[in-house]
Amino acid sequence: MNRRILILLLACAGAGVTSVYGADPLPSAESILDRYVQVTGGKQAYEKRKSEIAHGTVDFPALGIKGTMTRYAAQPDKYYYTVDIAAIGKMEAGVNDSIAWENSAILGPRVKSGVERAEAIREGNMNATVNWRKLYPKVENAGIETIDGQECFKVVMTPAEGQPITGYYQKKSGLQVKLTTVATSQLGDIPLEIIASDYKDFGGILEPAKVIQKAGTQEFTMTLERVEVNPAIPAATFALPAEVRALVDKTVDKGEAK
Amino acid sequence: MLVRRLIPLFAAALTVFGQARTQADLDSFEKVWTTIRDKHWQVKPGGLDWQAIHDEYRPRVEKASSHDEARAVIQEMIGRLKQSHFAIIPAVVYTVLDDEVESGSGTTGIDLRVLGGHAVVTSLDPGSPAAQLGVQPGWQIERASGRDLEAVIDQARANPAVHELQLTRAVLARLSGPIGGKLEAAFLDGTNKTVNLTLDLTAPRGTASAFGNLPEQHVWFESKRTGSIAYVRFNLFLDLPRVMASFQQTVENCKTCDGLIIDLRGNPGGIGGMAMGMAGFLVDKPNQRLGTMYLRDSTLNFVVNPRAKVFTGPVAILVDGCSASTSEIFAGGLKDLGRARVFGTHTAAAALPSAFERLPNGDGFQYAVANYISEGGQPLEGLGVTPDEVVELTRPALLAGHDPVVDAALDWIRRQKKP
Repeated sequence: MNRRILILLLACAGAGVTSVYGADPLPSAESILDRYVQVTGGKQAYEKRKSEIAHGTVDFPALGIKGTMTRYAAQPDKYYYTVDIAAIGKMEAGVNDSIAWENSAILGPRVKSGVERAEAIREGNMNATVNWRKLYPKVENAGIETIDGQECFKVVMTPAEGQPITGYYQKKSGLQVKLTTVATSQLGDIPLEIIASDYKDFGGILEPAKVIQKAGTQEFTMTLERVEVNPAIPAATFALPAEVRALVDKTVDKGEAK
Repeated sequence: MLVRRLIPLFAAALTVFGQARTQADLDSFEKVWTTIRDKHWQVKPGGLDWQAIHDEYRPRVEKASSHDEARAVIQEMIGRLKQSHFAIIPAVVYTVLDDEVESGSGTTGIDLRVLGGHAVVTSLDPGSPAAQLGVQPGWQIERASGRDLEAVIDQARANPAVHELQLTRAVLARLSGPIGGKLEAAFLDGTNKTVNLTLDLTAPRGTASAFGNLPEQHVWFESKRTGSIAYVRFNLFLDLPRVMASFQQTVENCKTCDGLIIDLRGNPGGIGGMAMGMAGFLVDKPNQRLGTMYLRDSTLNFVVNPRAKVFTGPVAILVDGCSASTSEIFAGGLKDLGRARVFGTHTAAAALPSAFERLPNGDGFQYAVANYISEGGQPLEGLGVTPDEVVELTRPALLAGHDPVVDAALDWIRRQKKP
């Protein structure tokens, strides 16, 4: 779920166009997404990044719970993240060889399927930022909304499989400041609102250092502290944990898992 | 002259007092009405026009001539919801429950239930001060710290708003105090002879565990074998990493067991998700769930993820009136899935994150913020889990060294054994 935050944010970007908007008419959704890529570092910066390890913290203020987050990603589509919270234990998730999975001390191991799997794989695409055209066949500019006194373009991105995502991009800066969607999870369809702020340069790419996610009645803040750029990540990092591998082996419906 | 001047002052004081009472009741009314408006899981609470309800009832609270009358009006208002776990608890009940209780987490190691209007020892923490002094299950506790417990029980039970969990906690509170302190208690032993003891108050059993903003609580987990039947008991669904790991280990060590008994008596719940996680060790069939929680803006499925290694033998779950929340979700869900047989007495019917708040007039207000429907289609909130086999603890059985609920579960598991 934590991975979703950053990935969803990154996934809403594109490559190429560097236009600055005039007053009218409304710019195309494509140009807004491409501008986001441009203002956050440019296509080349994204394409230079072959792997990364991001480190941060998570904070559930209403519950008084804090923890750490580490996210590993490698081109083209491998990712693994882990969140450690002392009172809850370790929560981890990943995508490897098109198997999307998660494991936690509380709910145990699980292999994702259906829409949830499609969303996880899409989020696990490290090139999502510049490959948005492949990931979201339909994008449209749904108008302008004011968020925190700033005019924002509202872009609705619809994937081939899964729920549409609405991103809000500041007219002035081109940065994405808000995202809404309905997340598909085994617990149910959960409305998500994500607020991104404090964009900082992490190895040549601007990323929101602070992300507040509101999911149903829960709210938490993730703070991105540092990003290791192009580190060598052992293949074992992305390997399925033994508990997940045991489930995959047990599952008769391997076609779904794959 | 002086008297004549005092009378108007006295009358004025009465007036102010009366206004203060009315204002406190009005503030309480507004608190109740606003809380339901803002926190009820339905945008239209109970399908009602909640603003119209406000406009109908507020004038009646304004006109109420007494605190009791105002409370009755507020009770009537929330009764219109026709939903459980919305209640007003009179301030006097708090007085009975809280009176003269010395705060502190020190314990004698006694667990008790109110059986037949008496506080009866049901179990003792191993090595606890009470156990060391020879207190036995089945002993009746007459007095603690100079208070007659039967009077406390009678007063509390006179109010239907006080359920078994609250009552038990209130009585247990009288057997607690500061760690390192001492407590004078009078018991009736197995021959009904009075035994007076001075008990040390020590730290509660288990490991201190913190979970966010919740106060630190001691959590313990025990497992044992009766022949080839495994038995587990834990006092809270907290200390997640340790309790989940202990549960997993118990189940994995139980591959060849004839059955598994999970004793949730006295377990008031904790982290709801742990019910799902534990069920995954017992349910082999995919795509199952324990139930569904309905919140105002979302619906949460309490899913079960079957583990790679699942115990498939008979499972008995033991419950009582002090089994609440996550315990009920776990027991009710597995019962509905046909995966467990439930023994004991009716649960607390407090499955939801219902909250208690004190109102400006001193009354208490209980309200639920969600609705939970167990997989069998029945709401747990307000109804609880009805055991498949109702088995009650009795003082004679406890004195004889028996636990009738465990015995019933053992008998059932033995009957399930394939020839």
